[in-house]
Amino acid sequence: MVVSLLARALMMSTPLLLGSISEVIAERSGMMVTAIEGIFLMGAWGGFVGAYLTGSSFAGILLAMVCGLLMAGVYGFITIHLRQHQVVTGTALNILAAGLCTYLQRVLFGVPVSPLKISPLPKLAIPLLGDIPVIGEIFFRQNILTYLVYLIIPLSYFLLFKTSIGLTIRSTGENPEAVDVAGISVNKVRFLTVLAAGIMGGLAGAFYSVGYLGMFTSGMIGGRGWIAFAICFLGNWNPKGAVIGTLAFGFTEALAIYMQTVGGGSYFPNELFIALPYILTIVLTVARRNFNVPAQLGTPYSKEN
Amino acid sequence: MNDKDKLKDLIITNFLAIAAGLILSGLMLMLLHINPFTVFGDALHTMFTDKYTMGDVLLKATPLIFTALAFAFTFKANLFNIGAQGQFYMGAIVAIAASLKMDGVVPTPVLLLIVVVLTFVAGGLIGALIGFLKARYNANEFLVSMMSTYVVQALMNYLLRTFLLETKGEYPQTDAISREAWIPTLIPGTRLHWGFVLAVLVAVGVWILLYKTTLGYRIRAVGSNASASEKSGIKSKKVFVIAFFISGALAGMAGFTEINGVQHMLIQDFNTSIGSSGLGIAILANANPIGIIFASILFGALGVIGNLMGRMPGLNIPSSIVDLMQGFVMIFVIVSYFLRAWMANRREKRRLQKVVEK
Repeated sequence: MVVSLLARALMMSTPLLLGSISEVIAERSGMMVTAIEGIFLMGAWGGFVGAYLTGSSFAGILLAMVCGLLMAGVYGFITIHLRQHQVVTGTALNILAAGLCTYLQRVLFGVPVSPLKISPLPKLAIPLLGDIPVIGEIFFRQNILTYLVYLIIPLSYFLLFKTSIGLTIRSTGENPEAVDVAGISVNKVRFLTVLAAGIMGGLAGAFYSVGYLGMFTSGMIGGRGWIAFAICFLGNWNPKGAVIGTLAFGFTEALAIYMQTVGGGSYFPNELFIALPYILTIVLTVARRNFNVPAQLGTPYSKEN
Repeated sequence: MNDKDKLKDLIITNFLAIAAGLILSGLMLMLLHINPFTVFGDALHTMFTDKYTMGDVLLKATPLIFTALAFAFTFKANLFNIGAQGQFYMGAIVAIAASLKMDGVVPTPVLLLIVVVLTFVAGGLIGALIGFLKARYNANEFLVSMMSTYVVQALMNYLLRTFLLETKGEYPQTDAISREAWIPTLIPGTRLHWGFVLAVLVAVGVWILLYKTTLGYRIRAVGSNASASEKSGIKSKKVFVIAFFISGALAGMAGFTEINGVQHMLIQDFNTSIGSSGLGIAILANANPIGIIFASILFGALGVIGNLMGRMPGLNIPSSIVDLMQGFVMIFVIVSYFLRAWMANRREKRRLQKVVEK
């Protein structure tokens, strides 16, 4: 019971990890990707369409990444090259994404009599590791996207803190003038990190449609992009922190499900547990004093000033 | 560059942006093999000739004016209140609870006055809490306000199936309030109520508050340069709390106009996009309170046009066309900000060139 609950919590953490790490990379270069909710949604939609039309989950995942990339490209172009406000642009794109995917879904599939289904990604048990009692069941009987995240966590940490590319990205967020003087285009670095975030965000979206539910609805993201965004803050702009933040979220979500099943609802209203992750975010935001905010987060760069 | 040029640029670029957004939406309609000209033409014709539909445009604009003002108000202090949706829900909860309590007991004008004050305070307190966390603990207001919406929504859902549950007890919704507690109709034969007038007056009031009072000056000063204004004796922390209180209060008032003016009861998933549309409108209007009135009417019109299209027989146009139109228009308006800056820059360069040549 507890083991399957933890396995489930880990599975549900997958897209949040992808999203929050994508956000960490972009924000380290000074770019808040406020279009993340829309990127998740377009990814979920693209994933479904690709998988449904070709019958291959792989094609779905690929199309999801392309959709995320396109959204991020538009976002990056407007915020970096046209120097427009990041929160404002993100909000507009999120509204557009909600309309676009529902509308295109209608264009492609009309009004289907019964909901369109695809087969979700299978759970792959890793030989040997998957047979370890408890641990194997929790960690090594997941789908391929979760395994991918196992790789992305250390890789992103290594990239950001142990390579010269990472140093450039971090400097772009802290001291863009220095990067510029070194002959590297600040805008190019930022655009590339946003594109990378778009690909990862699209993948995260695909998790919901292709990886887990095997269908698409316009409400399926329901603020989870924003949660990933929040986890990036709480994790202090560090992939390690993002892991801890996601686990905290996953834990409260699992707790909510657990309380429902054991009948805790008779003592506490169920809505309290639904609100718990959000309350936790607020409490942690208030409690954490030593935030390590990238100095130039959200500010467009221009050579003149 | 003079103000006349600026205003000309503003009108031309905004007009072009709206046109571009609508053209792109029209192209999307062609994907469904629908002729956009006849559809838009029919919808516009109905909108401008039918009194009831025209009333609906302003009706839809009413709550948007409030949520847009809510975002614009903190935006002037360089703060982000993106939790207007939650503050609106808080206002709606208080409006329905108070109206049900006083319904038939208190005369209509007194009831409406009490409810409007209560929604103002309810939304304001949520806002003030966010402002306080920002001022006292330096918590990120963007994040806290975003999360607050989900918390208030959970609270609303809880109340809807417990204390506020309808007497029949069938669905998670409240009882309807009687006509005594409705905001009176403004134009007979339409759904438009006096809440629209209230919204316009509040927008004018916000403009006066921001540009003609010391408090407004302080808010804008903190927004443009927090550390400089701190040195000149403005207590920026106090300004955070006050700005957020007013911002939340404005969003809370949307709860009043939607409950007592339109829906007359509270249901689950009530008006879920009011907060984000408000933000979009504030952008459209460059956070100018007077501009917000017009931008809200535009968004109201887009919503009504979308609904009209959806009801056209045999065409089956999905309701998501509304989001599509609003999204496209917003994107182009954002791009037009860039165009305006570019045009102003070019004009300035030409002027300087002339001066040099002389």
